[in-house]
Amino acid sequence: MDSVEIRTPKHLLTTLKRSLGSPAPRGSTHIPPLGTPRLPPAAPGSPTKHALPLPPASALRQRRLRTPSPEPVRPPLVSLSHTARKAAAASPSKRQRNQASQRTEEGLPRDLPDHLHPLLERQKRAILKALQQPPEIDEIEVYGEDYPPTNTNAYEQLSDLLMGSVVRGEGNSCLLIGPSGSGKTQMVERAITALPTTPIVVRLSGYAQHNDRLAIREIAWQLAQQTGTSFLPAESDEEDEEDAADPPATVEQEASGETLEEEGDDDENPFVDHAPAAPSSLVEPVITLPPPSHLLALISMIPTLPRPTVIVLDGFDLFASHARQALLYCLLDTAQSCRTGTGAGSGMAVVGVTARVDTINILEKRVKSRFSGRMIRTACPTKLDHWITLAKAALGAPCTGENAEDVEEWAEIWNKAVPQFMEDERVVEALRDVYALTRDFQIFRRIMTCLTLELTDISPYPTLKMLKAAISRQRCPARYPPLNTLPYPAICLLIAQVHAQTSGHDVFTFEMLHDAFKNQVRTSQAAPVQIQGGGVGMAFERLVDLRIFLPAASPATSVAKEFALHRCAVDRFAVKKAVEQMGQLNLRKWLTKS
Amino acid sequence: MSDIAPGLQTALADSPHYEFVSNHLSLLLSSYPPPFIFIHDPETVRLTASLVQSTLHGLASKSPTSGESQIKYACVNAVACFSPRILYDTALNALAGWTPDWRDGATNWHGSGAEARRYNENFDAFVHGIQTIAAGADNAGENAQTNGAGKGKGKAKEQGAPPNRRLVLVVERAERLKDNLPELVVPLTRLGELSQVDITTLFLSEVQWQDIRLPLRASPEPYYIDVPFLIKQDTQELLASAYPSPPAESSTSAVDVDAYHPALKPLYTHFIATLCSTCSPFTHDPIELAYIAAARWPGFIQPVLDAHRGLLKEEEIASSAEDGDADGKHEPHELQPPTEDTRLRLIRLFTPSFTAALESLYPRLSNAMDWARVHAPPVDLLLMPPGHAPEALAAQVVTNAASLNTQHGPTEAGIEALPRMAKFVLVAAFLASTNPARSDLRMFGRGLDERSKRRKRKVGTPRKPKPGTTGTAVKIPQRLLGPTTFPLDRLIAILGVLLEENDADTRPAAPQYTVSGEYTEMEIARVALHANIVELASMRLLVRTSPPDSLDRVPMFKCGIGYELAIKLAKSLGIILNDLVYEVV
Repeated sequence: MDSVEIRTPKHLLTTLKRSLGSPAPRGSTHIPPLGTPRLPPAAPGSPTKHALPLPPASALRQRRLRTPSPEPVRPPLVSLSHTARKAAAASPSKRQRNQASQRTEEGLPRDLPDHLHPLLERQKRAILKALQQPPEIDEIEVYGEDYPPTNTNAYEQLSDLLMGSVVRGEGNSCLLIGPSGSGKTQMVERAITALPTTPIVVRLSGYAQHNDRLAIREIAWQLAQQTGTSFLPAESDEEDEEDAADPPATVEQEASGETLEEEGDDDENPFVDHAPAAPSSLVEPVITLPPPSHLLALISMIPTLPRPTVIVLDGFDLFASHARQALLYCLLDTAQSCRTGTGAGSGMAVVGVTARVDTINILEKRVKSRFSGRMIRTACPTKLDHWITLAKAALGAPCTGENAEDVEEWAEIWNKAVPQFMEDERVVEALRDVYALTRDFQIFRRIMTCLTLELTDISPYPTLKMLKAAISRQRCPARYPPLNTLPYPAICLLIAQVHAQTSGHDVFTFEMLHDAFKNQVRTSQAAPVQIQGGGVGMAFERLVDLRIFLPAASPATSVAKEFALHRCAVDRFAVKKAVEQMGQLNLRKWLTKS
Repeated sequence: MSDIAPGLQTALADSPHYEFVSNHLSLLLSSYPPPFIFIHDPETVRLTASLVQSTLHGLASKSPTSGESQIKYACVNAVACFSPRILYDTALNALAGWTPDWRDGATNWHGSGAEARRYNENFDAFVHGIQTIAAGADNAGENAQTNGAGKGKGKAKEQGAPPNRRLVLVVERAERLKDNLPELVVPLTRLGELSQVDITTLFLSEVQWQDIRLPLRASPEPYYIDVPFLIKQDTQELLASAYPSPPAESSTSAVDVDAYHPALKPLYTHFIATLCSTCSPFTHDPIELAYIAAARWPGFIQPVLDAHRGLLKEEEIASSAEDGDADGKHEPHELQPPTEDTRLRLIRLFTPSFTAALESLYPRLSNAMDWARVHAPPVDLLLMPPGHAPEALAAQVVTNAASLNTQHGPTEAGIEALPRMAKFVLVAAFLASTNPARSDLRMFGRGLDERSKRRKRKVGTPRKPKPGTTGTAVKIPQRLLGPTTFPLDRLIAILGVLLEENDADTRPAAPQYTVSGEYTEMEIARVALHANIVELASMRLLVRTSPPDSLDRVPMFKCGIGYELAIKLAKSLGIILNDLVYEVV
């Protein structure tokens, strides 16, 4: 078993080939998932006898029942279309060439016929749409015995919690923690839309509401938007569609009456603003905020609203940095003291969303004690197969068109092209490279978007080259433009900077570089004679603009521009490479001069 | 907002080089755009900005078919929008298609009808404004705005159910946001999720996103679009295809009406090729090159036009001499493209001036119009013998410059006019800023004991190793590191030495001063001298580094002039500056 565990994917691949090439292939071949070096201990793909006695019927039943099967039942990576099977049936040495020759004669027309061009456009749109709303994939199939993935669990917990608040009127709080791109926000949105009744949703973000005052104003505004007509003058016409489902005004009057009962000291509803307090605006405003003194009382009356409330705090850790954590305290305290069963109030849920894992520790003690302590974790996909399945599903998104014949023809071509692309080992390898660096779904989406946009009428099928270009463009774009494209004086300044650095001055002024440059022009006859004045200064400013030269001291009015201290952000090797690429002998001489 | 010549803009739209960007962008924005796009263009960011705008304009003016969204866009420039309110108002005005009108108080967009409020209070209000626009509530307001102030995007037609809207917010020069409005970077990039409407933020910058984003991954990663590098060939084609259309007859431009005659276009292509090969080592920016071309072309083509006019005149004389046998025969002579020989001659004549144009126009030491006026060629240059033409050209430039009186920069003229004492002060300030204070005794000490003291110290100090050999940094001369600060006392003392040595003989006789140096002592204690120093400080020729309102401290100054100017001043005063500078240049 241990030997299976440490086996590398490459190695597994060879075993796969061998098993495929064997003369007696079984009906259902088990191929180990490739994406993960950490193989399940009972991987049936290994050619050991453990894999053999698995009744296919049970596997089928299990899949039908949608319970997590203990073993990966299907080869997730190579779906064994007839192409691959044919290719694999040949001897391993000839396999590569065989496949390559097939690819051209496979039936993919090299030039797309003209009448299919609009369909390519439609296909691109369909793919982009599929990337925007990720298609459902068969998680059981992808995850095998690791099913369910973290996010499924997290979703269940979250929707249970929200359900408790919305249906049973509980006051709940929880924290959703996970790395960025792991689907936190999406999960919250999904859970909210799946609720049986529409709650009042207040969305706050620590990035927009920098302090509690802004946050409370925003809460008031969003509540006023969503709670409806009775708080507003009669002539208001445009409201959200939720208002249609609102109870009639009499009920809401009762609700405000309840407010009166519950909060004896607060003698009027803070939402009802009798004197519009905005004299500057020309037209009488409809939604006015309550006066500032009432704003804090707002939170304590949230449970008395006619509908349950869900408060989503994005960037939860940033709210913790507000003064005295007052907003968090109020919210969590209100949520905790929410009484169920009395029938007086409706539920309230506070959902904090953050990427910071130690968020619970930065809460003050009194705030922490009001927090329920429920922390739900999300995670990025743990298997490469997840990505590959997603990519297949997205690329294979069905597209529609007016002309049914064309659509059929196109679908035939495209459904051939996609598996061809996705089964290329080098494609999988490229994706694995990205996956090994980051499992953020966003980067996957960006790469696939870029790949899709690259498809043109001339090269209508996705290729490895396009994928690689997309990856290099989206994963880590170069910080600076290639140095050899810089103008000539800029390169001269870079060389002068390298010399200044060698002589022990990491920090330099323009005058230093200019002096070195002038000396070089004077001593070597080979230097271009054209440069005297402005060009060098402009080149320096250009380098500062491009952030290749960074200011080393804060700018002061008393320091003249040419004496401002700078340091260089590129190292000498980059300069050397650029000089070699430019291929000018005098520059190279100057650079290598000690 | 775009300030690019129309010719260049149309050339840009046709350029195959930028097709990549506009295609990507229009496909993305018309289908399912990511919430945040970042366009990085290190070289030609202004061209890209105008391209993005024209792409968006094309998308927005297209009437949406079923299933597509109506696109509305706003371009804000982070340089112009230096405060949050300006940014909010600019964006909302553009998105709502609202133009502030002078007659109704130039108010910003404030929603319509009953929903009216101010949307520029804070970011939340801005988001509310965006939500209102996205919900289509501004339609009524736009229709109510009947006095032609609206942008007229042809939206008034669709009165019924408004199609779903897609908003695009373009921020040009986004690198400035980090300096000016750092608190807005994250919310703007998250605008889509904050406002819950279909909005895409598009940042456009010559700096990569890594240098703009705030730490801790507060912003989502953008979808990157990198504009490819414009190679020389492409630049040349772009500029050549941006041949301006001839100006209208009534235009008051200084350029000759025939300068952009269509027949001259082939010559223009050659002209651009030569210009590019001369200037492109120094700048790749097509806008800068176009600026230089616009300054040089009228002068370049003037000899051809002169020759053509001469020809016309001759014909006229000839026809009047023949006097009307057949009037129809003598069509006015059309402007012909010049011959190959003329072209070569022109290029050879004018190529040196390309470099001169680059030198003064690229750093904007002069402007295109002045430069063109100064460098206008003499009349009938082509009729001169080829050997004399270059000299004639150079001579003409000198006379032009003299007649236009733009030879001296304003700074130099001002310095010439300074009083004599102020010049002394400036030289003294330069010395005080450049020489280390500990060398003052050695440089200016004129006493008897000074020499022996120095010698004694010199003997006492151990030999220092040669700089650069022991791992310590090579010493950089102070004049390259910038002027150092000095107290006022030191300035006065050095000034005293200078005056005593160079000014004492020129003063009117004053028999009341008997001790040597007493007269100078008197001179440097005058109120006028201090007034002079304050005036120089207000002119920024001296830079005061200590706060101006403290009475109890010695005021500190710094020299504001450079070496060249100092040596010029010293020469006019008869001082040999190099003898007094500690580190000889």
